[in-house]
Amino acid sequence: MKYWKNLLFFLSVMGPGIITANIDNDASGITTYSVAGARFGYTLLWTLIPTTIALVVIQEMIARMGVITGKGLSDLIREHFGVKTAFFMMLGLFIANFGNTVANLAGWAASMEILGFSKFIMVPVGAVSIWILVTKGSYRFVEKILLFACLLYFGYVISGFMARPEWVPVLKAAVVPQMQWNSEYIMLSIAIIGTTITPWMQFYLQSSIAEKGIKKEQYKASRLDVIIGCSITDIISFFIIVTCGTLLFPYGIRVNEASEAALALKPLAGEYAYLIFSLSLANASLLGAIIVPLATAYYVCEAMGWEAGVNKTFKEAPQFMWIYTMTIVLASFVIMVPGAPLVLLMVLSAVVNGLLLPFVLIYALLLVNNRKLMGEYTNSRTYNYISWATVATIIVLTSFLVVSTLMPLHG
Amino acid sequence: MPFLGEVFSSEIIKKTVLDPKGEDLGRVRDLVVVKGEPLPKVTALIIERRKKSFYLPWQDLNIFNKKIISSRIFAESLQPYETREDDLLILRDILDKQIVDANGAKVVRVNDIKLEGYNDDAVLIAVDVGMRGILRRLGIERGGEDIARLFKKSLPFTLISWDYLQPLEPKLTEISLTIPRQMLSELHPADIADIISSVSQKEGASFFNNLDIETAAEALSELKPEMQADIISAMDTEKAADIIEEMEPDEAADVLSDLPTERAKEILEHIEKEEAEDIQELLGHEEDTAGGIMTTAFLGFLPDMTVAQAAELFKTEAREAENVYYIYVVDKEEKLRGVISLRELLIAEDDCYLADIMETNLKTVAPGEDEMAAAEIISKYNLLALPVVDENGYMHGIITVDDIIDILLPPEAKRKRRKV
Repeated sequence: MKYWKNLLFFLSVMGPGIITANIDNDASGITTYSVAGARFGYTLLWTLIPTTIALVVIQEMIARMGVITGKGLSDLIREHFGVKTAFFMMLGLFIANFGNTVANLAGWAASMEILGFSKFIMVPVGAVSIWILVTKGSYRFVEKILLFACLLYFGYVISGFMARPEWVPVLKAAVVPQMQWNSEYIMLSIAIIGTTITPWMQFYLQSSIAEKGIKKEQYKASRLDVIIGCSITDIISFFIIVTCGTLLFPYGIRVNEASEAALALKPLAGEYAYLIFSLSLANASLLGAIIVPLATAYYVCEAMGWEAGVNKTFKEAPQFMWIYTMTIVLASFVIMVPGAPLVLLMVLSAVVNGLLLPFVLIYALLLVNNRKLMGEYTNSRTYNYISWATVATIIVLTSFLVVSTLMPLHG
Repeated sequence: MPFLGEVFSSEIIKKTVLDPKGEDLGRVRDLVVVKGEPLPKVTALIIERRKKSFYLPWQDLNIFNKKIISSRIFAESLQPYETREDDLLILRDILDKQIVDANGAKVVRVNDIKLEGYNDDAVLIAVDVGMRGILRRLGIERGGEDIARLFKKSLPFTLISWDYLQPLEPKLTEISLTIPRQMLSELHPADIADIISSVSQKEGASFFNNLDIETAAEALSELKPEMQADIISAMDTEKAADIIEEMEPDEAADVLSDLPTERAKEILEHIEKEEAEDIQELLGHEEDTAGGIMTTAFLGFLPDMTVAQAAELFKTEAREAENVYYIYVVDKEEKLRGVISLRELLIAEDDCYLADIMETNLKTVAPGEDEMAAAEIISKYNLLALPVVDENGYMHGIITVDDIIDILLPPEAKRKRRKV
């Protein structure tokens, strides 16, 4: 009986951590894992464990802040670091997330193309249905769709098993770290961290916890939600790498896009693997395209003190509706116009994301250690060592990524 | 007279303060304000000199405006400033915090603070919650004006006068929502519910505590169930009981059913007996059934009453009832016999008996039936309320059309705070 009670209790708190972590595997994440698997087989699998640990360390602090303060991260940054900091951070977040939206809609376009639909039809259809779903649909309906969409990620787990890898070398590669000293390998291993720990998801997680109204007493359950969510993300990543590592790597097939991976799987693994890969990509892209613009509009408006809400009209909440609508419209436009600087935009987005992350993480650490704000729930001394070390490592790695994106290595 | 004219806090913060010889004394870090008549006034500047904070009292200032700030004293006589929690500081405690804009019934942020000269003092006159405030803080107010002019628009000044904000108390450092009580009760309860659901829970609860019982009861019924339970559990039992008692019995029952049983019992014990019995009866029904959404506050008159007697009784009874457009004719055994609309009662002759003019072809619903069944009957027969009658003919309560609308179209505050 007590067991059931605990389970029910957990289910009531569960959600934010798991949904956030799932959406984290959006089009660019899936691309990174597919490329990593096809190019280096299982040899990059080991990076997933440290990445998961870093993700848990950070998300736990963010979740704790959401529970204790009942406010979102953008609210706290505005209230404690002033309007300038908040403004530039939101500007950065807006640019980076515009890039993310483009990446997601591009993922949607690519997956539709390989399934035989023209992107000139499917991108507008996707964009318009997202817009209508969010602005005209009820929240309950949207939430149901999101939860169902999260389930579709398990398609990758199925494809991983269908690939019939030899599990002993796979598991060994997952736990025994190995290093290859070439620039592509190093870049990809950093990219895995960069695509897993992003600025916007910190904002998203804290707001969704604050808005769910999770209380101090329920904090332990919320922490479990975060840990499970982070683990699921990386389990999905694991299976994407395993699928591509088993089926594509031995034939030396290199891919640059998640959709190319799906196409390449067709002759090797048959219709099902191809379908699973392309449908999962479509699902993840669309899910990202729903959440990212919406979340951005919310955080920007909250930090700036503008009216926000999807049920509001353009007149009632002008900034909110314009940010949300224009992000989707411009992103679709960029994808459909031939010769649009898609690559440049992706690079810009990656760079801004990389530049933003240190600030977000450092501000988060300062806030979580603010006694006036967090009371007895600040980090313990040991936890601070761990979290500062984690944050420092991530910052070093992402700045390396930023530098090498701006000045590509040849070697 | 050190201060004339008006100035925004953003124009002063980080400005250099000069000593009588014109040498650098330090930079303004914050302003200390105290409650004053008619408006709160600045009593001191906190300045930063060589990474240390000093306290510079208002009397020691020579000139204070947006161009120049100078003092009458030299660096040697500066007093060090120790952070005190009960001081009210403009930058630390007011700027960037959330406040309620009573006109639009929405939550906004303080982007800037306007000071004005008044009898030798600088008083807080208004807070800027608009675009201009943000641009000014970023140092690009001029640029913003130029861009706005390109589009043939002007940037509006969006200021909220301090008169509309609650008198300053050190409490403000904890709760950033301020609005005077009388203005609060002028807001529509649904707007209040919107405000409460758009700030953090802690702030929502203390905001709620500022309401008078009647407004509180109405606002509470507009909130979503989890939030209702949170707010009521955080209150002391007396006040919670007062608010619950003020609510319609069906809504009171909804709130209590979401509380832990112990707590609900405790509150029920503090409620007037009759009211508590009504609520208790409603608590016995499943939430999604006709019994669960009905209210027991309806007009039930005896069949042998004359129209004149009924009209007289209506005057006293109608105060408490949720729906007054139908008068139910109920016999001594509490069995439903018929119904009379308010229109029929008003146009009937004074000496008719209710039994003679009542409609006996009744549409009813059983307490255990699904709420959607009730909704369908109300919609089909265009009713304003539907009596809930069990298999023995006893009348338990009525379901009103607004309860049905709430089920079909929950008000915004009852849905989720944000849609992400």
